[in-house]
Amino acid sequence: MNLRSILSVGPTLWGIGIFLVILGGSAPWIPGFLLTLVTGLLIWATLAYSLNLITGLVGYVSFGHVVFMAFGGYALAFGVGALNLHPVVGVALGAAVGLALALGIGLVTLRFRGVYFAIATLVIAVAALYIVLDIEELGDGKGIILNPAVEPLSVFYTILVTLAIEVGVTYAITHGRIGYGIRSIKGDEDAANTLGINAARIKLFVYALSGLFAGAAGGVYAWNVSGAFPYSSFSLTFSLQMLAMIVIGGMGTLLGPLIGTVAVYLPSQVFLTIPLLSGLQFIVIGLVVIIIALFVPGGIVGTLRKYIPEFRGMLE
Amino acid sequence: MTRVLEVSQVHKYFGGVRAVQGVSLAVQEGNVIGLIGPNGSGKSTLLNLIAGVMKPTKGRISLDGQRIDGWPAHRIVEQGIAKTHQIPKPFLAMTCRENVAVAAMFGSNKQKDQSEALETAGRVLTLVGLEGKADSISSNLTVQERKRLEFARVLGTGARILLLDEIFAGLSPEELRDAIGMFTQVQKEVGFGALVVEHVMRAVLTVSGHVVVIEEGTKIADGSPREVVENPAVIEAYLGAEAVHAPT
Amino acid sequence: MADAALFLSDLALGVLLGCVFAVIAHGLNLIWGVAKVVNVAHGEFIMLGAYGAYFLNLWFGFNPLLSIPFDAAIGLGVGVLFYFGFLHRELRGKESMDLQSEMVTLVSTFGLSLVLINTAQKLWTPDNVGIPWSPGYVVFGPVQLPLGGLYVAIVSVSIIALSHVFLSKTYLGNAIRAHSQDIPAAQLVGINPTITASIGTAVGFGITMVGGALLTVWLPTGIFPAMGNLYAPISFVIVVLGGPGKMWGSLVGGLTLGVIINVGQLFLGNNLSLAEAAAFLILIPVLLLRPEGILR
Repeated sequence: MNLRSILSVGPTLWGIGIFLVILGGSAPWIPGFLLTLVTGLLIWATLAYSLNLITGLVGYVSFGHVVFMAFGGYALAFGVGALNLHPVVGVALGAAVGLALALGIGLVTLRFRGVYFAIATLVIAVAALYIVLDIEELGDGKGIILNPAVEPLSVFYTILVTLAIEVGVTYAITHGRIGYGIRSIKGDEDAANTLGINAARIKLFVYALSGLFAGAAGGVYAWNVSGAFPYSSFSLTFSLQMLAMIVIGGMGTLLGPLIGTVAVYLPSQVFLTIPLLSGLQFIVIGLVVIIIALFVPGGIVGTLRKYIPEFRGMLE
Repeated sequence: MTRVLEVSQVHKYFGGVRAVQGVSLAVQEGNVIGLIGPNGSGKSTLLNLIAGVMKPTKGRISLDGQRIDGWPAHRIVEQGIAKTHQIPKPFLAMTCRENVAVAAMFGSNKQKDQSEALETAGRVLTLVGLEGKADSISSNLTVQERKRLEFARVLGTGARILLLDEIFAGLSPEELRDAIGMFTQVQKEVGFGALVVEHVMRAVLTVSGHVVVIEEGTKIADGSPREVVENPAVIEAYLGAEAVHAPT
Repeated sequence: MADAALFLSDLALGVLLGCVFAVIAHGLNLIWGVAKVVNVAHGEFIMLGAYGAYFLNLWFGFNPLLSIPFDAAIGLGVGVLFYFGFLHRELRGKESMDLQSEMVTLVSTFGLSLVLINTAQKLWTPDNVGIPWSPGYVVFGPVQLPLGGLYVAIVSVSIIALSHVFLSKTYLGNAIRAHSQDIPAAQLVGINPTITASIGTAVGFGITMVGGALLTVWLPTGIFPAMGNLYAPISFVIVVLGGPGKMWGSLVGGLTLGVIINVGQLFLGNNLSLAEAAAFLILIPVLLLRPEGILR
């Protein structure tokens, strides 16, 4: 990649890049409670981008994405707890586990289309919980508790770098030759195959990336909460929140998942602090998801692109 | 080297239904072969078998002597055989140029460079007369334009043998004349070989040098367009069936 | 000998449980067959049916069987609302469901599921409740069966049989079946697609909510707002096992799942969680080998 092509990546990537750099540069001076909030936001953004890869770009709705996150978390907890790895190595282990799992699950489930894929992923996530409940090394259903000596800044920078890489990868695969392949598969998979696109391989590649980043984010999540616990790690709520974020932000766009994360995560945190409203956030998120799915396909970013032509070039 | 597609004794059964029963034919680069027959005679199934969309139950399909039956569709395209869809399947969110560029990037030529592929696409769209629509989103095309785009995409793959499934269907007489003219012109220029499945008799008899007739999955005649239309077996099977199936 | 008795009794319990599973999946199956959509919020309507039975018991002392007509009536109404709220826009004027519309209904009904679970948690707390109803046991040789489970199984099979009669013997049922097989052809013979699809959906919801009420017999303390997260996947697996749109498929799938969960424990070292995992994962080989379901 030469300098010119680096400079010509478009305003959205520049914008996200500058946002992340400023965030990274100012982190040491961000007060503790705010840093926790921002770290949470970045973890969720990483998850949203990972689901965006398979669901937003390729068009395969996954209800079971939590499975990569959960096993990423367990990988970190096991690596740090039982093998005394450094947490950052634990996150890498989580990413590797997410990748391997996505390759295995994807090899089978990506043959199913539409609702069948959605159901298969959901069912695998539910079954995975029952299997983990039974594995002694993973806490036998009680989970793994880590020594909670967490350095907030290390967690923050790990997830910041992970997210930056993920956004870069998303940009690279949507703008390369493979991006045409991905769009063709989303458009019409049969037609894609008959034009020479190896749809099975491209889908598996994208799904593996998506598992990798969800695994890494799950690792950071477990690190941040000092452990991995079956019922909370495998909670379908995680899958659902990720999906809500990309639906609201705009599926398949570069900026959408970030906007969606901000739009879902920050209000949720506010709701959580007000006892009267606690729990209502999901009702609101659900209603917004319904309205967007039925009436505003494309979410926030897609709608901006549609109605404000000036944004079309910018929000690539 | 002139490339040759050979289909020999190919069968396809769906449960108890015998859609194709032992059809043999050959298509050479540069030649256009017409494939005709009544509705449900197995023409489209045969194209799908060659294109790798379905696997033959038995029989042999080869390209330049190499067996390709049972290969996945994308590998068949890589080898240089590409098929249109009877109902056009454009990528609706892309422009026409992008639609064809995809074919150039992933088809038999595998143009890795995006801007080159987009240039190729522009040239191909001009060939088929869609240059004015190159940058329109393909969901805005009419049915006729979609058929042309479908044809442009298989040309864009760089395939040397094309399998064309009813690309002349549903046209008005003038449109049909234009389309036949365009097709003949492009064929002369590009020099591809083609297997043309068609209901419109006038089109198929004009564009093909050789015609194969199948009925109920079996080949019943084979020869020049003139020989075929004068063949009593064809007249009986085809026109008899046509009379039953009229009006369409 | 003791093992054989244990096996028989687990088998019998599995069959009884399977019948109830069948009926909760049957509602989904009908909607899937008629409207060609998968209702992701299916589990939440099972939950609502279960709460319906719970409150009828709490207020009037009804047992779960008595709550059937009430749940059915609510379900029919809710189904019509659901059809016009979520499906009509996507189905109107279409001959078949495309992937785009499929995605819209998947995502919008998933939003609905979030709303329903969390509204239920606000209204009724996230805590488990149950219905204290236990009509005793009946003994067949070495096998002892709960009478509640037996009654519910009989009712479940009857509901499936009745729906089968409705679909094959009545005009409306035949219209629904015609609609689910070929929309343009059904329209040609004068079947109004909106009326048929909305009634089919409504019947599906009625059966789903009744299923939720029947299920409470097996859940002495298992009624809670998020219970759908377990029973929706169970229903999905059952419908795929039996084949979407095939009315007896629900029963075949339900019995398969009930038996796997109960008998599976015996072979998996008395391990319930592994048996449940197996019951879910059976979906994968079935989808790979027989995507049209077990039934032909």
